[in-house]
Amino acid sequence: MAEENPLAGKSRAKPKTAGKGAGGKHCPLGNARALGIRQVIDAEGRLTGDLAEPDLDRDALTRLYEMMVLVRAIDDRGWILQRSGRVEFWIPHKGLEAVHTAATVAFEQKDWIFLGYRHPGTLLLRGAPLVQLFAQFFGRRDEPFKGRRLPTLMGDRRLNIVPMTTQVGSYIPHACGAAWAAKIKGDDTRFLTFFGDGSTSRGEFHSAMNFAGVYKPPIVFICENNGWAVTTPTSVQTASATFSQKGDAYAVRNMRVDGNDPLAVYAATKEARDLAPKEGPTLIEAVTYRLGFHTSSDNPDLYREPEEVEEWAQWDPLDRMRKHLELKGHWDDKLEEGLWARCKSDIDDAVKQAEAMPLPDPASMFDDTFEEMTWMIEEQKAHLLDDLESQP
Amino acid sequence: MTPRKLNVMEAISAGMAHELETDPNVVLMGEDVGQAGGIFRTSTGLQQRFGSSRVIDTPLDEKGIVAHAVGMALYGLKPIVEIQFSGFIHDAFEHIMFCATRYRWASGGQYSCPMVIRSPSYGGIKGGFWHSQSCEAFFVHHGGLKILVPSTPEDAYRMMIAAVRDPDPVLLVEPVPLYRAMSSEIVLDGEPAEIGRAEVVREGSDVTVLTYGPIRHQATAVADELAADGGASIEVIDLRTLIPFDIDSILRSVKKTGRVIVVHEAPLSLGFGAELAAVIQEKAFGYLHTPILRVTAPDVPYHFSIGDEYYRPNAHRIRLAVQRAMEFEF
Repeated sequence: MAEENPLAGKSRAKPKTAGKGAGGKHCPLGNARALGIRQVIDAEGRLTGDLAEPDLDRDALTRLYEMMVLVRAIDDRGWILQRSGRVEFWIPHKGLEAVHTAATVAFEQKDWIFLGYRHPGTLLLRGAPLVQLFAQFFGRRDEPFKGRRLPTLMGDRRLNIVPMTTQVGSYIPHACGAAWAAKIKGDDTRFLTFFGDGSTSRGEFHSAMNFAGVYKPPIVFICENNGWAVTTPTSVQTASATFSQKGDAYAVRNMRVDGNDPLAVYAATKEARDLAPKEGPTLIEAVTYRLGFHTSSDNPDLYREPEEVEEWAQWDPLDRMRKHLELKGHWDDKLEEGLWARCKSDIDDAVKQAEAMPLPDPASMFDDTFEEMTWMIEEQKAHLLDDLESQP
Repeated sequence: MTPRKLNVMEAISAGMAHELETDPNVVLMGEDVGQAGGIFRTSTGLQQRFGSSRVIDTPLDEKGIVAHAVGMALYGLKPIVEIQFSGFIHDAFEHIMFCATRYRWASGGQYSCPMVIRSPSYGGIKGGFWHSQSCEAFFVHHGGLKILVPSTPEDAYRMMIAAVRDPDPVLLVEPVPLYRAMSSEIVLDGEPAEIGRAEVVREGSDVTVLTYGPIRHQATAVADELAADGGASIEVIDLRTLIPFDIDSILRSVKKTGRVIVVHEAPLSLGFGAELAAVIQEKAFGYLHTPILRVTAPDVPYHFSIGDEYYRPNAHRIRLAVQRAMEFEF
């Protein structure tokens, strides 16, 4: 195997040392500037002087941080609910709070977002109540998708959030096509989509980049390079030094940011959104890390070293944002304690309410196959319901 | 309105032109469809008439074309996508079957993907395996997709219009060998075909032939010859729609004749004939005098040099099937 290239992410080679913090073996963020990873703040929340500090006031900054904490608290609870058998399946998002929340804030409510599955903050930031999310996790009838999707595969048309097609990356050209449609129709709607490092290996990533380069739709593609696609390290996904450079091949504007720095993500996304009507698409690679399991069915001990996780934990986006707020005098221990207590009690309430909601009726699985049910589906429905009548 | 004499290709073009004209959200996209009017010339002049943002030449990428059309449909356009040959459609399968057809269901009815996928199909043009495929059965299995199979100029025109106006994704299986081979007078009044309605092409009392696509014409010719020779009386039904198929017309005929032959160009195993046979025996078992027979292609690739003659079902094999049905004894 070639010498480990921190740009390309992880290799399967065992690390010789367990580096900590800046300049570590596993985490490239301590060496960000040399690696072309743009930052606003460092591990201690101090301005790096690289990307300009975005124009966000105290309220905006604290709201963003509060959302990141709520998103972390949701993950903590989701994990417990899954391990205790109350939620069937869980896709953790610990460590990935910064990218989707900051990018969502950089877009406007009328803009469309094509979501992945580690992005609860996007729904909450656009106004979805917490109970709606937990109703989805519990597969309840009255959540927007009627309990049909795996926990965390969310969206809501009322909030201009399109749910993902479950096969990762398959929706990248859907997002691009929708953006292209808005351009054809002459609407000033802009588009955002998230996908992971693994998704860039699929043909759909190529299709979307290629069409985006040709037709210049107003879209921001965010590749969350979190180091691992299930058990496969980025070094197996690609031999390219970065994911952002793939944009060059398609004449798609691109940049690389620190995905654990919400201010860098916000700055890059905001700029890309502003440029979208004139310049078209941007590909942003957000370098980040999945601190948790791939899903509740995963076991990271089989493929990665604990030292790697420990090193990345030194760059926890929540810690960095909190330190930044403290340096600015916007935050203290008391606020921190109050926030966590509030998040936990809000989640308690949401869990309680959501769990009490009814499950979907079996007849409802036949709905929405077509706008108007065909006789074929109608008949299959009648047969199933007939059979179920005599089922004890 | 005076009727115009159009071949199948011109009828498809007229249908698309009508919808492009009347609905600003309709776009046509695909490889070579714009400047050149498509490799078969089914969209000749449309880009010149409606502009390059509505009649769109795309990169060579079937998956990408369909996947981008899915996104366009989500946002409110109504894309008509041309796949050059049905044999090239497989790369787009996921986006047709698990995306276009599934956004409505998977979003609890919040989103939908009204779009038309044009799939030029069938053999008879000395095209070899990739250019002669009848792969419509792959698309039957999953629900959410309507499948229209026109085999006359009139149906081609009206089914195109119906497909564009349908609120769900539609696969339009176009009869390539008939593009220029068959003409008829059509009143270009923009009236859509009724989806889900079969046509009783020819009435008969002894055997029901269920068919669709270009081979409908051979089946009808066989029926006419037999009638002229004083042979069996054949009822030919052109299904016209596979999903949802016209069960009422089928059962009415089967209950009258008691003998059924399914004729299609697609391969045998799990072809549409398999579904028809299953449904007919479920719903009309007591009316059948004979097993349901199938005249189809075999489960092997379409042969280049002898496929048109020996791979596709032909008139001789249809006649033999009729004979077997009439002579069958339990």
